Amino acid sequence: MAEVVEVIIVTVRDIFQDEAGRRSRFSDEYKNLSALIILDKQDMIRLEAKDGQKLLVKNDVGSVVVAAKTSEDDMHPGLAFMYNSPWSNQLVSDNVCDGSIPGNKRIKATLSTTEENMDITQISELQARMQS
Amino acid sequence: MVGAMEIYMLLPKTNCKKCGLPTCMAFAVGLLGREKKVDECTPLIEEKKYEAKLKKLREVMAPIENASETGLIIHPERCFGCGNCVVACPVNVAAEPTRSAVGLGPESEKVILRVEDGVVVANNLKECRRFGPNKTLCNACTATCPSKAIEFV
Amino acid sequence: MAICTGCSLLCEDIVATYENGALTHVKNLCRKGHGHFQAAFTERTVPMIDGEQVTLDRAIAKAAEILKSAKSPLLYGWSNSTLEAQAAGIKLAEKLGATMDDTSSFCQGILMERILSGKIPSCTLDDVRNYADTSIFWGSDPSSSHPRHLSRFSYYPRGEKRQKSYEEERTCIVVDVRKSATARLCSNYYFRVAPGGDAQFMEAILAVLEGKIPKVGDKKKMIELGSHLKKTKWGVIFPGPGMIDSLQDKMELFERLLAKLNEITTFKVIPMVGHYNMRGFNELMLEKTGFINRVSFKGGAAAHGPEHSALVAAKTCDAALVIGSDPLSALPFCTAHALARLPLIAIDPRRSLTTDAAKVVIPSAISGLEAGGTAVRMDGVKIKFEPIIDTNLLSDEQILTRIMEAI
Ligand code: SF4
Ligand code: SF4
Ligand code: SF4
Ligand code: SF4
Repeated sequence: MAEVVEVIIVTVRDIFQDEAGRRSRFSDEYKNLSALIILDKQDMIRLEAKDGQKLLVKNDVGSVVVAAKTSEDDMHPGLAFMYNSPWSNQLVSDNVCDGSIPGNKRIKATLSTTEENMDITQISELQARMQS
Repeated sequence: MVGAMEIYMLLPKTNCKKCGLPTCMAFAVGLLGREKKVDECTPLIEEKKYEAKLKKLREVMAPIENASETGLIIHPERCFGCGNCVVACPVNVAAEPTRSAVGLGPESEKVILRVEDGVVVANNLKECRRFGPNKTLCNACTATCPSKAIEFV
Repeated sequence: MAICTGCSLLCEDIVATYENGALTHVKNLCRKGHGHFQAAFTERTVPMIDGEQVTLDRAIAKAAEILKSAKSPLLYGWSNSTLEAQAAGIKLAEKLGATMDDTSSFCQGILMERILSGKIPSCTLDDVRNYADTSIFWGSDPSSSHPRHLSRFSYYPRGEKRQKSYEEERTCIVVDVRKSATARLCSNYYFRVAPGGDAQFMEAILAVLEGKIPKVGDKKKMIELGSHLKKTKWGVIFPGPGMIDSLQDKMELFERLLAKLNEITTFKVIPMVGHYNMRGFNELMLEKTGFINRVSFKGGAAAHGPEHSALVAAKTCDAALVIGSDPLSALPFCTAHALARLPLIAIDPRRSLTTDAAKVVIPSAISGLEAGGTAVRMDGVKIKFEPIIDTNLLSDEQILTRIMEAI
């Protein structure tokens, strides 16, 4: 059984994801480029995950299921990256400091592999959560 | 970019010389340098057991065969359209001291690199410094690219 | 020539050809800008109330009704609107006694305040191209966020005093938590910081500039950085969200660093503003109210404070107008959730998570493409533009004026 891995998630930019989001926030293209978490090789091993493996990312604020992707950067175990999107925002708290700057850059979360049939969280699901 | 070794692994490795070269490794180097074509290795084409290898070899060779005469390959799907290469290319700079050279989008027909529809395109490759009798090892376009969207074979 | 409103570089050398409602050919736009231009032809909004298509007049009347009956409305967005629309928005806020805020409130605002008040020295991007020999991208990754930044201004172009440019006369330095696309271009001068470690790194630079041994980082590399900074003739720092988020209330440390650097040589700062006219909004608000953002006009006079930040106001207001922004995508979940419960009015050319949740949707012309106006580039340079596509759609400014007339 793979471990549950704790990480700090930092949100970053990606030009391809940005481009897709400008064309449509509701496309599969945007979903596939946004619902991603970029992990260090070591963390991938601890999770027994391969690229594309669905992971449940969870913290006090919320949770999402996204796909894992191996980082091309030098080693950064324990540090994960997500692109700014409604998926990463599910995990961002709005009361860091004086409530003025959301903690986009340091999101604490746990990662675990999901059961076989868990799919990436759909945008419609994220919308339903916001409107509930 | 693939190397000679990777190509070699996809050849029959029998050194039968039918391609006109003494060894499969020499043939791999020939393929990489675009002096040889895949079809010249007749055993690979004719013998059914090499089918899978042949398919893979054609895949890895496709970008190399599509490369321009200077060996410049563009991967538009990786390109950011940032224009770094456009502004850095010495031929662009010489052609347009008041546009490309200072960061503006090119207007002259003489430039090699420009950005169209969000990605880089290359024209006038015979002007490229890597080409012709006085060729130099210019790498201004590849060294300034953030996404490996330009490569040389 | 067209301009691109895809980011706060407002590139002015775009050549676009349209035919039969499609973008057929375009020169000089980066990938991001290309996506921005293509967006003109997909997922356009229509006037709607409660998800039903209505006439524009009815949508505007409904918006006016909601705002009029609200006790404390929030007007949010603005950084993707022209100065003209922002000015109309301020008038509307005054009339309504509304709270007004934009994205700078939780990102570049704390730096922009110091730039606009002159506490931190700044310059134009054209100065950077002409004079800069050191560009520091700190917590910013222009290759991904402002793709033409390096080619137009900060690293690759030739400038008045920088004819040999990046080959010999310019150095680019990246301080970031990851080896970003930009960091790959200046790998000799890439400094990795831990998330939240920017203040420590700043102290380490201050230490080496004062000839002391730095406490963090690779000492040799830090000393090398220190001597490079001392040799710099004209340097510029481009702080991005990474640095600002990490420093938060320690901004005066950055002021100290700038003061120290300017004792030794010349160093300027240009904030890496994201949206095309965020700086314009901050400048205009400062001029009209004395504050750059987070203003409440309740009771007439402009009041400023963290309680008027959109993050807080989203929870305390009773109606919201969102213009040119998609807070339901871009803001933290709790804020998005708070906004979604309100009667929302969304003025947007295109479908978004916010228009989907809005009670009233008012379609607008895309500024830069279908509507003209003025915007302020990240460095404070004002840029005027004309529309390049014909449209019957109203501009943001016209819509706001009509709402105001109906109140
Ligand atoms: S023909 Fe094919 S198998 Fe024979 S030597 Fe040449 S590459 Fe090797
Ligand atoms: S190799 Fe040099 S001359 Fe040729 S296209 Fe690239 S930058 Fe231009
Ligand atoms: S090829 Fe590379 S350097 Fe040139 S525009 Fe594309 S991403 Fe930029
Ligand atoms: S850099 Fe920004 S303004 Fe310039 S073309 Fe790209 S998106 Fe548009």
